[in-house]
Amino acid sequence: MGTTITIIDYGMGNLRSVQNALHYLGVGAVISNSAASIASADALVLPGVGSFRPAMLALESTGLDQAIRDAVLTKGRNILGICLGMQLMGTSSTEDGVTQGLGLIPAPVERFSDRDGRKVPHIGFNTVTAAAQSQLMRGMQDKTDFYFVHSYRMSPLGLAGRVSTCDYGGLFVAAYEQANIFATQFHPEKSQTNGLLLLKNFLAL
Amino acid sequence: MLKKRLIFTLLYNNGQFMLSRNFRLQKVGDLGWLQTNYDFSKISFSIDEIVVLDVTRGVRDLDRFCDSMRALAENCFVPIAAGGGVGDIASARALLRSGADKIVVNSVIAEAPSSVVTLAREFGQQCIVASVDLRRDSDGDLQVLTKSGSRPEMESAYAYLSRLAEMPVGELYLNSIDRDGTGQGLDLSLLDVLPKALTQPVILAGGIGNASHMYQGLTDNRLDAVATAHLFNFVGDGLIRARQALIKDGIALAFWDLDILSRLEVNRWRGIH
Amino acid sequence: MSVQNLRWCQNCLAMSTRPRLTFDTRGWCNACVWTEKKKTLDWDARLVQLRQLLDKHRGNGRRFDCLVPVSGGKDGSYVAYNLKHKYGMSPLTVTVTSALSLALGDENLKAFVNSGYNHISINPAYNAMRVLNKTGFVEMGFPYYGWLIAIHTAVIQTAIGFGIGLVFYGEDGEVEYGGSTETEKNPIYDVHYQRRIYLEGGYEKVLASSGLSDEELYFFRFPEANDLEAHPIDLTHWSYYENWDPYRNYLVAKEHCGLKEAEETNPGTFTNFAQNDQALYALHTYLMYLKFGFGRANQDASIEIRRGAMDRQQAVNLVRLYDGHYPEEFIDLYLDYYQLSKAEFDAVLDRYANKGLFDKVDGRWRPKFTIV
Repeated sequence: MGTTITIIDYGMGNLRSVQNALHYLGVGAVISNSAASIASADALVLPGVGSFRPAMLALESTGLDQAIRDAVLTKGRNILGICLGMQLMGTSSTEDGVTQGLGLIPAPVERFSDRDGRKVPHIGFNTVTAAAQSQLMRGMQDKTDFYFVHSYRMSPLGLAGRVSTCDYGGLFVAAYEQANIFATQFHPEKSQTNGLLLLKNFLAL
Repeated sequence: MLKKRLIFTLLYNNGQFMLSRNFRLQKVGDLGWLQTNYDFSKISFSIDEIVVLDVTRGVRDLDRFCDSMRALAENCFVPIAAGGGVGDIASARALLRSGADKIVVNSVIAEAPSSVVTLAREFGQQCIVASVDLRRDSDGDLQVLTKSGSRPEMESAYAYLSRLAEMPVGELYLNSIDRDGTGQGLDLSLLDVLPKALTQPVILAGGIGNASHMYQGLTDNRLDAVATAHLFNFVGDGLIRARQALIKDGIALAFWDLDILSRLEVNRWRGIH
Repeated sequence: MSVQNLRWCQNCLAMSTRPRLTFDTRGWCNACVWTEKKKTLDWDARLVQLRQLLDKHRGNGRRFDCLVPVSGGKDGSYVAYNLKHKYGMSPLTVTVTSALSLALGDENLKAFVNSGYNHISINPAYNAMRVLNKTGFVEMGFPYYGWLIAIHTAVIQTAIGFGIGLVFYGEDGEVEYGGSTETEKNPIYDVHYQRRIYLEGGYEKVLASSGLSDEELYFFRFPEANDLEAHPIDLTHWSYYENWDPYRNYLVAKEHCGLKEAEETNPGTFTNFAQNDQALYALHTYLMYLKFGFGRANQDASIEIRRGAMDRQQAVNLVRLYDGHYPEEFIDLYLDYYQLSKAEFDAVLDRYANKGLFDKVDGRWRPKFTIV
């Protein structure tokens, strides 16, 4: 296909699954923690499983946070953040005290409240309502099931851009698309055919 | 709406996959057998999650287990939880790097609860699945057993689970040793010992033989998912048919458009990286 | 017999080729119909009959009052366990040693006996057993015919020898799996019925033409008529008095009699907890497959369906995968035992393969039919 994708390795996350999914779709994705690899990639994937604070610390201590900002904001490369990766792209998170994020998505990350009896973490397949003119959800039904596993999320209130939502004790941001910045709270590499189509849509941008 | 989940559990023992009958293991076949009779690249499209447990009695070979995990995970686009003798960060990381998304812990909950906290801190609470094996004693009371069902825990099942609910675990995987492998259906009474304070999702296992057993479980509001490790009963199209039957009978399971597969123009990446 | 005429039970996978099998208007075989009937049967009344029978024979610890043939497997163990622990009888258990016993079978038998039973092991003359087994194999396609005779004849002799008037077999195969229903309502039968149904005729002829001496054949003959009259024996099946459930038997034997399962799956099926005592069983079921089109996996799957553990389609998938397994793992053992070459052995199998059901492809019989 000619597209080079770098899956950013900052020590957290199931990188292999993302790579497997991209290989399945015919694209050779590279897993790398080098700034050079991030700089030279046509598009980036920022996965993530775990906690916000250690993740940001890992990105900052290796200078990957700057490499990402350069690639995305300066060079305009497409980036897809997944799960914790999406959260890291936010402004801040209240997991383990307040930590600043990459600021690529203008929204903070907060915990689900378990006051209304809903189980936290939010685990399982849930229905996502696609944003109007969503590029990630092209070719899908308006409502599609994706796999979520998280305790923290962004609220769609006041958030500009193409925001796809999911309802779990209230609406939260399931996917975000704005210019070259894309992100999903759910795991497309774990969402069967629906997820594979989404990844294909990202690759085709 | 959050959907219920249908989970398939694979029991790994020294390179072979097993059927467990009340925690006694029967060799079924190796990875080749699994790939032939379950064709995971197709069958996995009918289940919501896979759990792979290293139930080797005796010395475990983590590297070999990780190799099998990698092979299983290759064309599997659902979450995979892996475990079996896991208690430390290094083992957990090895599994996560081999394709697992979540870590299953069991004996370590009783032996070294602080390790569970350490794992959660490192990988996130939602990455930890707490597995609890239960059996009824001669008085009919539920008892927790660890170490592949060989060691009875002293405290009551309710006390054990209450303590567990306070720990930073993402989900509970409850397994009935009495029903394990019997095909007699799930023991829903296991859910009676769940503490009220529990906020985590619950997966129930032990006894599923067919789709009607899955249905009985999935219609109980106290649980979020059912799991089966019955490697014989679902060979061929068993899992696909079970899922279709459940959806037809009104169970809210996730829906994936399989027609999409043909639109993906799959040309597998064969390059070197 | 042609593939076009084949029918399968609509509930389990029993095949129309099975002797004495019938179907009801729904297409359910008699075994499945019987399973349904058993759900609403008046078991209390049968329990009363059982207690009466037991009281009639009860020895109160002064002598053996009932005889239970066992192999160390789940069924005999279950019956013995109940008689002793639930009903306070004093059973003597008896095993007729099989020709090619398996290590696991021997272990299970030992574990059973050690769990607390009086036990006799009968070893009929080795050569006679072998001659009769071989004759059975070659002439009738019954590879352990000698043993099938002895588990009836030697058991009767044991009963007479120990002055026991009550013998409990486990399941009445004819009733439970589809066949003659003569004993569906009459639990107590006699030696003549045994002879007729269980030895499928030809028994007298085989002994007569065996060339074996009377002494070698002692354990293979029923006692004389006057002996039987002097020592009347009530023969019965446990399955008459209690709902027969092979899986339940397995769980109880596992829990109380030390039963262990095989570590691997048994040949020709997907189970590991039944029929672990002798190597010839795999050959017996393979011949059954060649003659009728159903083997061990089919039988096991049908049991699973009837106990609600799997549905019919699940069973079909398993049977397609496992049924009709040529017992390669035991071939050297068989050839040595029967003193046959591989070619001679395979020629015997060829005789019994139903050509209407099977084609020989690359040296193996392949089914011409698929289960529907």
